[in-house]
Amino acid sequence: MDFLFYLDDVFTPINFGLLLLGTIGGLILGATPGLSPTMAVALLIPFTFQLEPQQGLILLGAAYTSTVAGGAVSAILLKIPGAPANIATTLDGHTMATKGEGAKALQLSFLASAVGGLFGVFLLIFLTPVLAQWALAFGPSHLFWLAILGVTVIGTLDSSSVVKGLLSGCIGLWLATIGFDDIMGAQRFIFHPAVSGGINVIPALIGLFAIPQVITMFTKGRHKAEAEVIEVKRHPIRLAILEVARRKTALAIGTLTGSIIGLIPGVGGQIAGLVAYDQAKKFSKESEKFGTGHSEGVIAAESANNAMVGPSLVPLLTLSIPGSPTAAVLLGGLLIHGIFPGPDLFINYPQVAWTFIDSMLIGQLLMCIFGLYIAGLAASVARVPHAVMAAVVLGLAVFGSYSVQNSMGDVYVMASLGLAMYFLERFGFSAAPLVLGLILGPIAEANFIQGSMIANATVGVGSYFFTGWLNWLLIVIVLASVSYSVWMEIAQRRYTTKDDAVAKEEALP
Amino acid sequence: MTELPRNQHILASGIIAVVGATVAYISFTQEPADAFIFPRLISSVFAVLAVWTFIKAVMGRTKVGNGVSAAAMRNMLPGLIVTVIYIFWAAKALGFYTATAIAFFVLLSLYDPAPHGQLRTWIKRVLITAGFMAVMYGLFALLLNVFTPREVFF
Amino acid sequence: MKKWIAGAVMALATMSGSAYADGHEAYPERPILMMVSYGAGGATDFQARIVTMTAGNEDALGMPIAIVNRPGAGGRVGWNWFATEAEADGYTLGAYNIPHFIAQSIEGGVSYSTDDFEPIANWGADPAVFVVGADSDFNSMEDVVTYAKENPGGLTFSGAGLFVGHHIAALQLEKAAGVKLAYIPNNAGGAGAMRAVIAGEVLGGVNNLSDAFRAQAAGNVKILGVFDLERNSFLPDVPTMKEQGFDIDNASVNFRGVMVPKGTPQPIIDKLAATVPTMFENSRVQSRMEAGGSPMHIMTRDEVLEMWAARQETLEALLAGL
Repeated sequence: MDFLFYLDDVFTPINFGLLLLGTIGGLILGATPGLSPTMAVALLIPFTFQLEPQQGLILLGAAYTSTVAGGAVSAILLKIPGAPANIATTLDGHTMATKGEGAKALQLSFLASAVGGLFGVFLLIFLTPVLAQWALAFGPSHLFWLAILGVTVIGTLDSSSVVKGLLSGCIGLWLATIGFDDIMGAQRFIFHPAVSGGINVIPALIGLFAIPQVITMFTKGRHKAEAEVIEVKRHPIRLAILEVARRKTALAIGTLTGSIIGLIPGVGGQIAGLVAYDQAKKFSKESEKFGTGHSEGVIAAESANNAMVGPSLVPLLTLSIPGSPTAAVLLGGLLIHGIFPGPDLFINYPQVAWTFIDSMLIGQLLMCIFGLYIAGLAASVARVPHAVMAAVVLGLAVFGSYSVQNSMGDVYVMASLGLAMYFLERFGFSAAPLVLGLILGPIAEANFIQGSMIANATVGVGSYFFTGWLNWLLIVIVLASVSYSVWMEIAQRRYTTKDDAVAKEEALP
Repeated sequence: MTELPRNQHILASGIIAVVGATVAYISFTQEPADAFIFPRLISSVFAVLAVWTFIKAVMGRTKVGNGVSAAAMRNMLPGLIVTVIYIFWAAKALGFYTATAIAFFVLLSLYDPAPHGQLRTWIKRVLITAGFMAVMYGLFALLLNVFTPREVFF
Repeated sequence: MKKWIAGAVMALATMSGSAYADGHEAYPERPILMMVSYGAGGATDFQARIVTMTAGNEDALGMPIAIVNRPGAGGRVGWNWFATEAEADGYTLGAYNIPHFIAQSIEGGVSYSTDDFEPIANWGADPAVFVVGADSDFNSMEDVVTYAKENPGGLTFSGAGLFVGHHIAALQLEKAAGVKLAYIPNNAGGAGAMRAVIAGEVLGGVNNLSDAFRAQAAGNVKILGVFDLERNSFLPDVPTMKEQGFDIDNASVNFRGVMVPKGTPQPIIDKLAATVPTMFENSRVQSRMEAGGSPMHIMTRDEVLEMWAARQETLEALLAGL
């Protein structure tokens, strides 16, 4: 119970002030398109040079917590996912916002984030030594199978046609191979200088989600505002709490998926939200409502991506290996103060280590409180005329994708993908599987190549990829996931007529 | 319920099938072969699925996707043209802030339903544009220190 | 209010006006970018952020330096951009890693070489070391080489990528010991390569001294040898490769520093070359680097030019044998 002992330290005036600053700053940075949590934390590192180690880490811990949740704001209100973690949130969250339920979506997302986040931090506090072994268990062959498992999710994710979902996924996987190949350094498919560095995930995300929405607003033309006045529903926080409590399955699936996936180095943060969304959809009694502004979608996605925050730091704090890019940046924040993370961290620097963890705990609560406050203000976004909205989203998309790495090429990629995606969507393809392919492609490829290199030098490819309980467990889950999709496709065919499918499409904006 | 626009589906899936086939062709012909193992795998699946979708479209058995109606096309065209000029030319040639301000204002004027004849409408549009630009400048230039291309003014 | 606006307009006018003037006396007039061709949180990124943190001081450049990451393919993405697209106006700096970019330019398939860049100053030198897991049977390089001789091509060991410092060290080891090894490049850089060693996915690994030092302190690895001419002050007990009987020099030592693209005006290069080394010598920078376990090695522009030329020659000879 060491963490309770050091809890006082969080509440000294300076520390608490920094915690507030980190939380509010983190929410703003997180909501800025193009600024992923990793970038946001990296931007704050120079500020910590001036501070005591403990204070610096409080700032970073609070910022990490709230940037992940802040990404939900732009995802819900503008349909611009700030980072891969928030993709799944756009699917139902933005639909809710266009229906005037923006306040509800934001409240649900912050409450779910807090629940998931607290669970994740408690895992970090109580189970770190056990979890550290789990984080090491995933070698190249396991990561390869895990990526394949992610690919099997593609077909059932946010698409009314499994074939088109898979095709969207393939397009994403192909886009991911453009540029230099990560291991050999060979150039592939470089047909324009803008893609010579490969397709950066964040500008691609912005383009694929935001631009089709801008064009959809264009298609409405100059018609009168009265025709589509959306009633902005006020939503008491009490009801949001009840709603989250009622959706236990989604909350539990999101939290557990996020915690488990968050542990796996290099994969976690990016796909936790999408995998949790897909699982929640499969287990839900109302799975057909997903994608039409259903509260379970938001709850599962957001609880997952905040639950991953705590566990993602396990390998860093115990083994001194950063498991995610953000953890790597936090490592820098520790190193500049001469603190080396490792098994001795909690013995040598208990005050720093425990205060850091406590600050994430309290940060989750503060983030939730501020978030609920913002939710009330931001709900009126549905009342913004579509002409203004289109122009705002377009401007933010351009600035956001440029700022990722100060590159004009990224802006061109963003716009081209976005324009293409609009037309693809009109023909039944969807952006979520495409993005999942884009994220999983490099993970699958790099681990396959590394695994085969190790295998060729030792036991051979066959036994390397097909022995060991973890490999088989993952293979079995892959097969189960595929058969589930096939079964769903066949089962649905019996009663899904063309009209049903079209009706579902029409329900979407 | 209207019939799905079959011709549009044939055209769209045809384009995708051509892209899929091209990608597959490039993957199987480029060197070094080692670096193209994974692209070969992906592009094969890509090409097969794309051709399948194309065949389904030709047979008129596409189930999802409503295509683009003529009215929607007419409405979006001016906006699309402004967007393309803004992103692919003006942003770099005129500088980010100048180009964004102009594009923002033009889009607003094109799609804002308020009557063009009144002075009030125009003042409102200018004010909204100025407000948006102020937020962008504060956020990206002052807070995040992003140096965007600057040509005309800033 | 009116006064404020007038002031702002004036300031803008003078800013844009003088930027186009011939002289570079006023350089720098706005914040400077520094491109790092590895991801945020990597060793190069971490050190770049520390050594540039005092750039805004009056006795340094007087303007802050912002880091922009362009990671990918072992640095090729970033350096390609730097050679072909970065503006040579003095406001875009780049971080270099030697021997990485020289080895990649010799190997081919990229659009840069030493001729496309102008060095400014060097801040650090991080030797490669050979690490094995803490519970490994290997206790010296001799054990490693003996195993490799018994299992030709079967000794798997990780490193940060192809044609980076770690790979050069691996090639040197193969050549000096006369064995065939299985070098496994990791896509997640040095951190990923270290994880593979600790998790036991590979039998050993080549890694940065600074990272290995930390992993050893955490009790995760043993360090068997340093790929340098002399023992390192961080690890006085670890022998060099030469001491263990392998003829390996310091060609794989990872030198990190600042450069600008070719074509940057000479006055700006001179100004940077004069200021940047003193910026690295700042006591706050030094103490932070020391605390983080990052060995510093400050070199001026002339020294770096010499070092680049020397590396070019060594690496051409080494890689020609492939």
